[in-house]
Amino acid sequence: MSDQVERAPFRSAASADRTAFAARLMGWSPGALALIALLLVLIVPPLFYLVKTSLYTSEFDGSFGDFTFEYYQNLLATPGFLAHFRNSVVFALCSGTFAIVFGAVQAWIVERTNAPFRRFVFLQAVISLGVPHVLYTIGWLLLLGKQGPLNQFLMHVTHSAQPLFNVNSMVGMILIEGMIWTPLGFLMLSAVMRSFDASFEEAAMMSGAGPLKTIGRITLPLAAPAFLALFLLICIRAFEAFDIPALVGSAGGVSVLSTDIYDSIRHELPPNFGQAGAFSVVLMALVIGLLQWQGRVLKSAERFQTITSRGFRPRVMDLGRWRFVAAALLGFLFLVLMVIPIGMLVITSLLPFYDGLRAETFARLTFENYHVVAGSPSFRQAIGNTLILGASTATIVCLLTAGSAWLAVRRFPGGALINQLATLPLVFPAIVLGVAFLQLFVNLPIAIYGTLSAIIIACVVQYLPYGMRFSYAGALQISRELEEAALMAGAGRFATFRRIVLPLMAPSVSTAWLFVMLLSVRAVGMPILLAGPNSQVVAVTIFDQWTNGQITVVAAFGLVWTALMMCIGLVFHRMAQRYGVAVR
Amino acid sequence: MPKFQPRTVRVPRYLAALAMLIGMTSVAQTACAATIDEIAHLSGPDREKVLLEGARKEGKVTLYSAMIEDQALRPVAAAFRKKYPFLQMDFWRADSRDLINKTLAEARGRAVIGDLVEGGGVSQALRRAKVLQPFRSPMLAAYDKQLYDPEGYWAATRVSYFGLAYNTRLIKSEDVPQTYDDLLNPKYKGKLCWSGSGETGGETMFITFIRLIKGDEAADDYLRRLSEQHVITYMSSAREAVNKTMEGECGIALNIFLHHPIISARKGASVAPKPLDPVEMNASVVTLAKGSQHPHAAMLLIDYLLSREAQEILEGANYFPAHPDAEPSKMLASIIPSKIGMKTKFVSEEVLFKERTKSLALQKKYFGAR
Repeated sequence: MSDQVERAPFRSAASADRTAFAARLMGWSPGALALIALLLVLIVPPLFYLVKTSLYTSEFDGSFGDFTFEYYQNLLATPGFLAHFRNSVVFALCSGTFAIVFGAVQAWIVERTNAPFRRFVFLQAVISLGVPHVLYTIGWLLLLGKQGPLNQFLMHVTHSAQPLFNVNSMVGMILIEGMIWTPLGFLMLSAVMRSFDASFEEAAMMSGAGPLKTIGRITLPLAAPAFLALFLLICIRAFEAFDIPALVGSAGGVSVLSTDIYDSIRHELPPNFGQAGAFSVVLMALVIGLLQWQGRVLKSAERFQTITSRGFRPRVMDLGRWRFVAAALLGFLFLVLMVIPIGMLVITSLLPFYDGLRAETFARLTFENYHVVAGSPSFRQAIGNTLILGASTATIVCLLTAGSAWLAVRRFPGGALINQLATLPLVFPAIVLGVAFLQLFVNLPIAIYGTLSAIIIACVVQYLPYGMRFSYAGALQISRELEEAALMAGAGRFATFRRIVLPLMAPSVSTAWLFVMLLSVRAVGMPILLAGPNSQVVAVTIFDQWTNGQITVVAAFGLVWTALMMCIGLVFHRMAQRYGVAVR
Repeated sequence: MPKFQPRTVRVPRYLAALAMLIGMTSVAQTACAATIDEIAHLSGPDREKVLLEGARKEGKVTLYSAMIEDQALRPVAAAFRKKYPFLQMDFWRADSRDLINKTLAEARGRAVIGDLVEGGGVSQALRRAKVLQPFRSPMLAAYDKQLYDPEGYWAATRVSYFGLAYNTRLIKSEDVPQTYDDLLNPKYKGKLCWSGSGETGGETMFITFIRLIKGDEAADDYLRRLSEQHVITYMSSAREAVNKTMEGECGIALNIFLHHPIISARKGASVAPKPLDPVEMNASVVTLAKGSQHPHAAMLLIDYLLSREAQEILEGANYFPAHPDAEPSKMLASIIPSKIGMKTKFVSEEVLFKERTKSLALQKKYFGAR
């Protein structure tokens, strides 16, 4: 009788797990699976080649040799490694602090006070986004150099025979990096301060606290998570910065990890990819640590929510007569952060050669450098390549992240994984990504190394997280009811995304497009390793021409490019406003 | 059941003959297609005809060069295009080290764009990596034997002399160093600079040169004492080191191309050259990439670069032509060693490469990580 009892077929736990996994996978939409596959293809191979590079010796032609741990073993034995590591940390922390402090001062004056002319600070911030970092750095080097105007002034005032300020130092590096990031710090903190509920500050002032006490005891603590998150972001970017340590620090003997990576490839013969790979993995590990810390900070941020279900209005503080002092401070910062370095570049661009600023310098002014720029096919090609690079990168990133963000926000199957993958490239410093993609491209069976497509692919990977950030925020703001109404009316998921979600996400996606475009056209650390003769881009051309001593032509070329970028930014902004997708 | 009968297709005889002819021609072409090695070693009265025919089919050639773009590369390219209107000539200007790195990466990625690579210190690294094709050019019959490789891997396009540049506002002419040992005088502490990233001109080459003229033991002591002078290292080209000297960031630049300060001084810059005895001399060379996609056109360009016509264009750009019949510009007379009573010490491509490792070790020991 027991034989006739039907028994359920025996299934092992592993088999049950596989079945459950398959069921979950089959619940994922084809779109989600396609996105995951695409993201894996973009991100995993360079990571694989980077790690492989650090674990194999390099033959003379750069190909892989034998397996080894020597590059990691050599790290601590490498002269100066710990000092360069320390330099990287100091540089990142101090320049982050500089940018936050000055950005916060500007943001507070603009958003929370009645200082006159404060809206012009936005203009300055937008203009600065169009200036390549490398060009900005060159302007400051000319200003702060031993024979530059600042030292000339200080020597005259103090009657010193020797220059008093050495820009080729850690202080010089921190100053310039901090000034580069101040406009971004202002933009991000102004958005935070704009959304404060003023009732907290009003309550403080009604209790007898003055403006300074209110700022110190209420405003700053409430803004602390935003400050810390932005501080960490700037630190991470400063950690991986390449152009300022290379242009400013190296002449003063100040090296950081990113210059170690670059030196291993460029200055050693044959290029020491293995050592570069080991440095890169260490730098990546540090960035991962900082991102983990940032994640923990943001998790506890809800304690500091100031936007609640009650209606709120941002309150502008009346500074009285002090508002003119505040306006003067904004004007001073505008001069220092924008007018003076750009002005220095303008003067340099009008000289046949640069040998300091003296009275007789102005007798040599000429437009010859602009003639050279206008007549140079290589400059025109660089501009064309860069515009294609920026537009392509931004478009591809937005196409990928718009759908990815929606899947992640709505918690569709696979959405969490897509979110993780799209954010993963944040851990790649730009120079590290350059090493990784260089090794990947030269090992592929197709001839892609040195082409513009190669740089576009690498830039898409690098800027995915930025696009994801904006798109995620945009998707988060959309209520589910609108999509549910579309679904109930018979629209499929894709139609709902295309006709309901995407138009509503347009403001954030267009912001992402502009932001990614501006970032990608300024990049140096990665394209410098990947660009070939026909795929030169503006930032690399400026860097190369500067290091080859073509300083006056560099200034002219850089200013032409900056003017073009400002026009593009302005046109885009007007178009976005006209079609109701205002960039905020 | 009817039996299947295959249809017989009758091919007209003329079509069969045509097909055979096409097939034979393809086989013949494949059999006759010359290798790059054969093209690079063509000789005889038909050499130029074969090169021209092949170049017409190829249509273009790309030169990677360390020559200055506006004064040298563009005029050379324009003249070459005028001579061979059917050929498009592209060029890319970069420092020697960048040229080497890009060429190596292109070879690994099977994406060779640069047919020729020209610059100082490029040949041996590329030869070691087996990415170079030896060649022969009838133009070399006129050249001095030390200016081309007997195995054919490189041939000199120009020579350079190296020495000091000094800022005439900061350093009086009577205070300028007169010998290499004068550089150790404490009065120059903090006033010296050099390029840290050039393959020729700059830190590494200077260390090699000092080792060659003093011997390793004396050179070690010299470099130890020089490191006490706190020489500033600019991670840029030797030209930029001259610029920094002009700006006053540095008083004296070491191991720069001696013609650079002359060119700048003519425009009004406060800088002047100072050769030291013996004067360091080196040749910039042209090489042929093994993976060149346009070997016929590349050989025509090599012939042209080595010709007197192209060499005279380089003379106009204030380079020192390698061709014995092309005289350097009169403007450069003050730095030609034979005219100022100084000896020269030629540092060949092979020596530069062979001594590199030891020189880099000394650089790291005395001037390296900080």
